[in-house]
Amino acid sequence: MKKTQTTLWHTSLFVGVCVISLGLSLACAAPPEKKAEKKLTGAELYAINCNRCHAERYPTEFNSGQWQTLMIHMRVRANLPAKQAKEILKYMKEEAGN
Amino acid sequence: MKKNFNSRILGTAAASCVLGLTVSPRASAAISDEDFNALKSTVQQLQSERAQDKQQIQQLQQQLGETQSLATNAVEKADAVAQAQATPVRNALHNFTMVGDAEIQYAKTFGNNTHSGFLLADFAPIFLYRANDSILFEAGFDVMLQNGAEPVSGHDSGSSTSVGISFAQLDYLINDYVTFVGGYMLLPLGTYSERSAGFLNKMPDGPLGREFLPGAGAGAQLRGAFAVGESGQMITYSVYGANGPSSLDGLDGAGSLDLGGNVGLLNNGNTGNLHTAPSGGGRLGWFYPWAAHKDLEIGLSGQTGVWDDAGNHNWSAAVLDAALHLGPSFELKGEFINSWYGTSDVGTVHPWAVWTQAGYKLAGLNLDMPVINDIELVGRFDKENDAQGTSTDRYTAGFVYYLTNTLLLEGDYEWLHSRGPAALPSNEIILQMSYGF
Repeated sequence: MKKTQTTLWHTSLFVGVCVISLGLSLACAAPPEKKAEKKLTGAELYAINCNRCHAERYPTEFNSGQWQTLMIHMRVRANLPAKQAKEILKYMKEEAGN
Repeated sequence: MKKNFNSRILGTAAASCVLGLTVSPRASAAISDEDFNALKSTVQQLQSERAQDKQQIQQLQQQLGETQSLATNAVEKADAVAQAQATPVRNALHNFTMVGDAEIQYAKTFGNNTHSGFLLADFAPIFLYRANDSILFEAGFDVMLQNGAEPVSGHDSGSSTSVGISFAQLDYLINDYVTFVGGYMLLPLGTYSERSAGFLNKMPDGPLGREFLPGAGAGAQLRGAFAVGESGQMITYSVYGANGPSSLDGLDGAGSLDLGGNVGLLNNGNTGNLHTAPSGGGRLGWFYPWAAHKDLEIGLSGQTGVWDDAGNHNWSAAVLDAALHLGPSFELKGEFINSWYGTSDVGTVHPWAVWTQAGYKLAGLNLDMPVINDIELVGRFDKENDAQGTSTDRYTAGFVYYLTNTLLLEGDYEWLHSRGPAALPSNEIILQMSYGF
C-alpha cells in the first residue's frame, strides 16, 4: 500500500516537473515573439478564451444587458483578467446590435 | 411746275400704295400654314415640357420633404437610444438572465439484465442576477426525475422529482485582480467541476475519479487573474476556505467519509461546522495561447482539512489538470486526481484517478461535406482506484454531432473493466441530446 502510494507520488512529482519544465520552456521561447506582440482585440480575445470550454456563442444570442451580466459570470467562472473581459464585452455588445 | 411736282408726289404715293398693296400680300404669304402649325406644335411641346418640369420639381420637393422628415426622425431616435443607454431603464428583469443546460438520454447498460430506456438526464438552469457592474448573484439547480420504490417489494413504481442546488454564490468584483466569492460555491479542484455542464462536456457522462472530490462547498473564496503581456497569456489563482468534507456518522472509519454535506445549517436548524475547523484550498493556473484556438492550460490545485467530528484526521486532495488546443479542431484535456484521508480502522486511505479525453472535429479535414463537418470524434480513457478494493479501467469512444452551436447530439460506447466490492456495471451505450441555453 505504502509502496503504491510512494510510486504514485513519484509519478505525480515527475509529471508535475515535466509540465512545469514544458511551461518554462514555452515561456522562455516566448521573448523573441514579444517584440511583435500587439494588443489583442475583443474579437481575438473572444476567439482565444471562449472556445476553450464551449462552442462559441454568437453575439446576437443575447442583448447588451444580458452580455453585461454574462461577462461577470464568465469572468468569475473562467478567471478572466479584467481588461480582457472588458474587451470581450465591448466586442459582444457591439456585435449584438441591440 | 408746281402742279407737275404735286402730280409727281401724288403719282409716287399712288405707286407706293399700289406697291404696298402688292408687296404686303406677298410678305404674309412667306409664313405658310405648315410653318405656323410647326411653330404652334413647338410651343405646345414646350408648354408640355414645362408642365412636366413643374411636376418633377413638385415631386422632388415632396421627396426632399420626406427625406428631411426621415432624417429628423432618425436623429430623434438616435438621441432617444443614446439617452436610454445613458440612463438604462431599471426594472425587475433588466439585469436578470437565465442560462443553463438540459439533457435527455437513451441508454443501455449491458450485462445486468436491464433494458434500454429513455431518461431525463438533467435540467440545470442557472439564474444570474446582476445588482450592478461589480456584484452578481448566481445559482445553479439540478432537477432530476427518478423512479420511486414500492414500499413492500422494493420494485420500481411511480416517480419522484428532486431539485438540488449545484451552487449558489455571490460574486463581488473587488478590483481588476481580486474577486470575492461567497456562498455554496463550485470548488476549483481541477477544472471539471466548473466546466461540467452537459453541453460543455463532450461525453454524455463524467469522468471517473470526480467522486473522490467534493464538487461544491459552503465557504468563501478570493480569485482572479493577472494578464502576462498582451498576447492573452495569464496566471490565474483561487484561494478559499470551506467547511470541507465531514463524516456520515460522526465516526472516523474508512466508510464514513462524506464529501457532499457539511453545508453549515444543521438539521436541527442550528448553524455550525460538523467538525473542529474549516478546510483550506486553492488552485494556481497558467494559460498560454500562442494563436487563436492554440493554447495550453495547466493547473495545480488542492485542499486539506479535518473531516471527522473529533478532528483527529485530515482529508486532503491534489489535482493536476491540463488542456491543450491545437487549432479549432483538436482538443486534449485531462486530470490526475490524488486524495488521501486518515481513518481509525485502516490507516490512510488513498483514492486516486486519472482521466484524459481527446476530441477531433472533422471540419479540420477541410472536406466540403456539411454533415461530416458538423461531427466531432471523441475518445476517453479513465482509471480509478478507491483504495478500498475496487478499481476500474474504462475506454470510451464516441461522437458529437453539432446540430447548432448549442444543440448537440452525443453518443458513446464505454468498455468497462471494473473489479472489487463496489464494481461498476458492465459496458454501456449512451445517446444524449444536450442543449445549452
